[in-house]
Amino acid sequence: MTGLPLVSVPRNRPRLWLALLSAGLAAACVASLLFGAGSTGPGASLRGLLAWIAGLDAGPDDARARFVVESLRAPRTLIGVLVGAALGAAGALLQAVTRNPLAEPGLLGVSAGSALAVAIAIALGASAATLRVPVAQLGALAGCVAVLAASRVRGVGDDPVRLVLAGAVLSGLLGSLTSMILLFDERTADEIRFWVVGSLAGRRPADIMALLPGLGVALAIVVVIARPLAALALGERVATGLGHRPRTVRLLVIVAVALLVGSATAIAGPIAFVGLVAPFAARLLAGPDIRRTLGLCLPIGALLTVGADIASRLLVRPSELPLGVLTALVGAPVLVAVVRLRRLPGL
Amino acid sequence: MLITIRKTGLCLALTALLAVSLPGAARMLDTRYGTIEIDGTPERVVTLHEGALDAAVALGTTPVAAVATRGGDGVARYMDGRVDDIAIVGTARETHIEAVVAQRPDVILAAATLPESQYRLLSNIAPTVVPKGSNFAPDAWQAHTRLYARALNATDRAEALINNFDTRTAAIATQVPEAAEATLARWMPQGPLVMADIIFASRVLAAAGFTVNDAGVVAEGRPHSDPLSLENLDRIDSDWLFLATLNADGENALAQARSSPGFERLDVVQRDRVVAVDGQLWTSASGPIAANAILDDIAAALDLDRQP
Repeated sequence: MTGLPLVSVPRNRPRLWLALLSAGLAAACVASLLFGAGSTGPGASLRGLLAWIAGLDAGPDDARARFVVESLRAPRTLIGVLVGAALGAAGALLQAVTRNPLAEPGLLGVSAGSALAVAIAIALGASAATLRVPVAQLGALAGCVAVLAASRVRGVGDDPVRLVLAGAVLSGLLGSLTSMILLFDERTADEIRFWVVGSLAGRRPADIMALLPGLGVALAIVVVIARPLAALALGERVATGLGHRPRTVRLLVIVAVALLVGSATAIAGPIAFVGLVAPFAARLLAGPDIRRTLGLCLPIGALLTVGADIASRLLVRPSELPLGVLTALVGAPVLVAVVRLRRLPGL
Repeated sequence: MLITIRKTGLCLALTALLAVSLPGAARMLDTRYGTIEIDGTPERVVTLHEGALDAAVALGTTPVAAVATRGGDGVARYMDGRVDDIAIVGTARETHIEAVVAQRPDVILAAATLPESQYRLLSNIAPTVVPKGSNFAPDAWQAHTRLYARALNATDRAEALINNFDTRTAAIATQVPEAAEATLARWMPQGPLVMADIIFASRVLAAAGFTVNDAGVVAEGRPHSDPLSLENLDRIDSDWLFLATLNADGENALAQARSSPGFERLDVVQRDRVVAVDGQLWTSASGPIAANAILDDIAAALDLDRQP
């Protein structure tokens, strides 16, 4: 145990942490239903929530509160949970496969690739929400491949900070391409300008359904590759010796990350840092084993995203802040903390 | 044709000289950056403000160059067919000075918001007319049109345009019910921007008899609010809702709005008093032609409302 107080938490009880985090997430979800930027306060929201759950036909005030809770806050809460869990898991996977504690879909350009793909699709005339998910996933896949290629370059892959620099360059390049499209195409600009800063507001239930296939496939992949991925952490020779095929494992991880990041980006826009903070916190709680951290990343990422979304509604009422801004406010200090740790947590 | 610009002292001496050579032709204009003098009727006019372009065209001049409308790459759609061959020399935010020079203007009509550094550059190219007073002041477009009219030697036409507007608004106001409230909003995917009651279109609405309701969400002196949270959509509920987007036709804005939760619950939507309007006209433009185009929209909406 080192002198850092955060590192001295018991690492051998991931189940306990999982239970505690899930309870915390449930509390955050309830809070997300009760608080908002509008005039419907927690008390009225609670009555609206009860009216919704019990199916009661209440008075006009309660009916209004029920509408706010049911049609505005419930969808965004559900999306927050899905997006946060997806990004948390994607971060853990990407960090494991690049063996880099700073690997994060937002920082490395995977989200930027996804955003660019969506911008191109909208500029070419698409606008249906259903088309957006696969397009964002394809863009994320391209971003992943670029990241992995960069991490294989001698000198880049061994140095976590260099990989982040390479990712920053890629993000900058893809971001400026997106800006260029926005500059030339007004219609795209208006549709995408808001989406690019990230938000969970105003999404429809149908948009959520469109995410489920991708997330389901990603979940299946994660279940299959968790064990080989843990072996890979011991080195390629060990993994091969244990009967795993590193190349196949890496390919599957990339596909899973692309599905997760693409789904999250399609519905909420590129949201940075959740994929950095969630695995970082998970390692502090449960140690470096990917099989343990992956499970913890789901509730941590969801808790982080739902919490940031609640804050985004309350800070500038009657307007709302972009969600991406808030996750960056939380995430950037964590990035600095990780870089400043003299010995980066081993992967 | 002779045009001169000088400041105070030198200017007075020169005025005396010109008065001798061309009796009665020189006009002194009181602008934001001092008194300027314009002589004769300028031929090559460059407008660096949407309101100046609108006023110049309404006054019978065809400017050689103008700036693009906000969010677009040409002049606003409501000006279609009036200035088809006009050169674009910048955007609302930024003027391309070299392009202005290339137009060899006789006079430059600029916005009231033109910064002094820009004025120094432009006034070296040609006499630059910058109105006094904010765009958001009451009767701003009338005052600005009068000033531009003096520059263009068309004062009588300006008075006729303004009288015509007053007559028309008075006629429309008789059809607007007592204390009818109107809200003007620009639709954004994350929620509506409520436009302030001090912007041009709101002044036109007020002149036409509406009480403009900006929902108390616009900060003092700002043209519009931040995008409201969808939870606060009911703040834009009003007797009438004029709904705009900058970059597409109004019907598109309306379709977007209708698909967002809560919009159909608004009283104004249920009573079918949502009017889809062009954001370039309603939230960016100003001037006599724009005023009349907005009055057209208002009159059409009132007509439609009266039909069973």
